[in-house]
Amino acid sequence: MSEQVIELKGSVLSLTVLHIYSADINETKASLAKKIEQAPSFFVGIPIIIEPKIELSDPTFLALLVEYLHQLQMIPIGLRSKDPVIQEQATYTGLAIFPEDTRRPTNEGSDEKPRAAIQEKQPEQPAEPNYAPVVMDEPGLKSALVIERAIRSGQQIYAKDRDLIVLGSVNPGAEIIADGNITVFGKLQGKAIAGTAGCMNAKIFAKQMNPELVCIAGIYQLADDIDEQYKNNGLVEIRLKDEQLIMSAM
Amino acid sequence: MSKVIVVTSGKGGVGKTTTSASISTALAQKGKKVAVIDFDVGLRNLDLIMGVERRVVYDFVNVVQGEATLKQALIKDKRVEGLYILAASQTRDKDALTQEGVERVINELKEDGFDFIVCDSPAGIEKGAQLALYFADEAIVVTNPEVSSVRDSDRILGILQAKSRKAEEGGAVEEHLVLTRYNPSRVNAGEMLSKDDVVDLLSIKLLGVVPESQDVLNASNSGEPVVLAQDTDAAQAYLDIVERFLGGEVDHRFLEEEKKGLFKKLFGK
Ligand SMILES: Nc1ncnc2c1ncn2[C@@H]1O[C@H](COP(=O)(O)OP(=O)(O)OP(=O)(O)O)[C@@H](O)[C@H]1O
Ligand SMILES: [Mg+2]
Repeated sequence: MSEQVIELKGSVLSLTVLHIYSADINETKASLAKKIEQAPSFFVGIPIIIEPKIELSDPTFLALLVEYLHQLQMIPIGLRSKDPVIQEQATYTGLAIFPEDTRRPTNEGSDEKPRAAIQEKQPEQPAEPNYAPVVMDEPGLKSALVIERAIRSGQQIYAKDRDLIVLGSVNPGAEIIADGNITVFGKLQGKAIAGTAGCMNAKIFAKQMNPELVCIAGIYQLADDIDEQYKNNGLVEIRLKDEQLIMSAM
Repeated sequence: MSKVIVVTSGKGGVGKTTTSASISTALAQKGKKVAVIDFDVGLRNLDLIMGVERRVVYDFVNVVQGEATLKQALIKDKRVEGLYILAASQTRDKDALTQEGVERVINELKEDGFDFIVCDSPAGIEKGAQLALYFADEAIVVTNPEVSSVRDSDRILGILQAKSRKAEEGGAVEEHLVLTRYNPSRVNAGEMLSKDDVVDLLSIKLLGVVPESQDVLNASNSGEPVVLAQDTDAAQAYLDIVERFLGGEVDHRFLEEEKKGLFKKLFGK
């Protein structure tokens, strides 16, 4: 019995930390909403660690914040705070507790001037000292991003490092993107782009499709190139073979 | 409790102002206190359709800018009790409206006990349209049965889900669809999308279908919301819409081609 079933490995991951500077949940939500608006698809599906920089007396603050982050399709996974009261809240909310950041370089604090209620660190700047490196077990499984509603014209959804499942329709003018596979249970009429990070095994499944464009790992077909027999005609699977998109009715 | 309703569409000329005027009038006829606000700054249209263009002294922009009080600018309708119009300015540009100013006006209307505050949005998806929908509790999305109109409505629904205050607070604006300028014979001929096509794509609740009708043009030329031309199909359609909006159950009408009676069949039209 040499076949390995699981393995626990320590690993250093970069995670986005959300600093909270206001104990007012509404102010915090509004500020978050504003931030997200600047790059809506960027924040979808990213794991978040919450780090309050002030005292939170409202016992529901953390739960409300977690709920709101979920609504924005971010994934709060943990809390970083020494405050036992907040730590207790975190346990109730199902958040992991991370130790206070001990790895911060000593020049920390010098440029920390919170202007808004929230500051978050953009993962684009990995050198940022506040951008917390944490040690955690490698998650073996990254579950799919599930969107339960219709994706409307002008909207874009990006499932980073994972699969995307859309239960509603993807309307004309909408765009869905995943590093992994894409499954659409409604009608796929917009653009679907799978295997964005170069994964050639990624597939697209659509229960009913007449898409503007389908693309896997950079190989694409436009509406006009797609064989009519696959349009509006039941479940279709799309995969990549020898640098060509292969469609099959299922 | 006051409700703020935005009448919006994305695409222009689909019937937002016609719908705003008729819905506001019918709500007032039902005993509600209603204010209808024209957000289409620079174009001024609602006051014409409501027949009050000669009574505008102060407008919405004046109130937003603090140059007049709300009381001075609200025009009381002479036909229907409880109906008030806040006209847009023809002479100012679009940037004259600010979010803070609009919020102040809406709050003041709420304090004055208005049941419904109906916001007639300008076309497009830019700032003006976003301001008109920002404070909405409910949205009436006006669509024509053609592809470009439906696409724009889809777009505006996405904006309602992302950029309204309700959405920012983690809630949702309640969405209703009004399909207007519907022509069943052209639908049957395949020249227009059917009601089912549109509802299927937008996946929101259908509030009602308003038929394409010359009566709408006649009404607006005489400065009267079409809903007051009681015996017309368009008026009936808007009355049904308001009935449903207030929770009543009314079957959908005006979906089939009008059957010509024997008389018309024999003698042409
Ligand atoms: N049911 C209908 N049947 C026939 N004509 C209609 C109907 N509804 C609206 N119209 C006509 O369509 C034109 C545009 O209507 P309206 O001004 O209400 O649209 P709108 O969406 O407010 O336009 P805008 O985007 O310019 O503000 C008008 O000439 C109006 O008379
Ligand atoms: Mg108009």
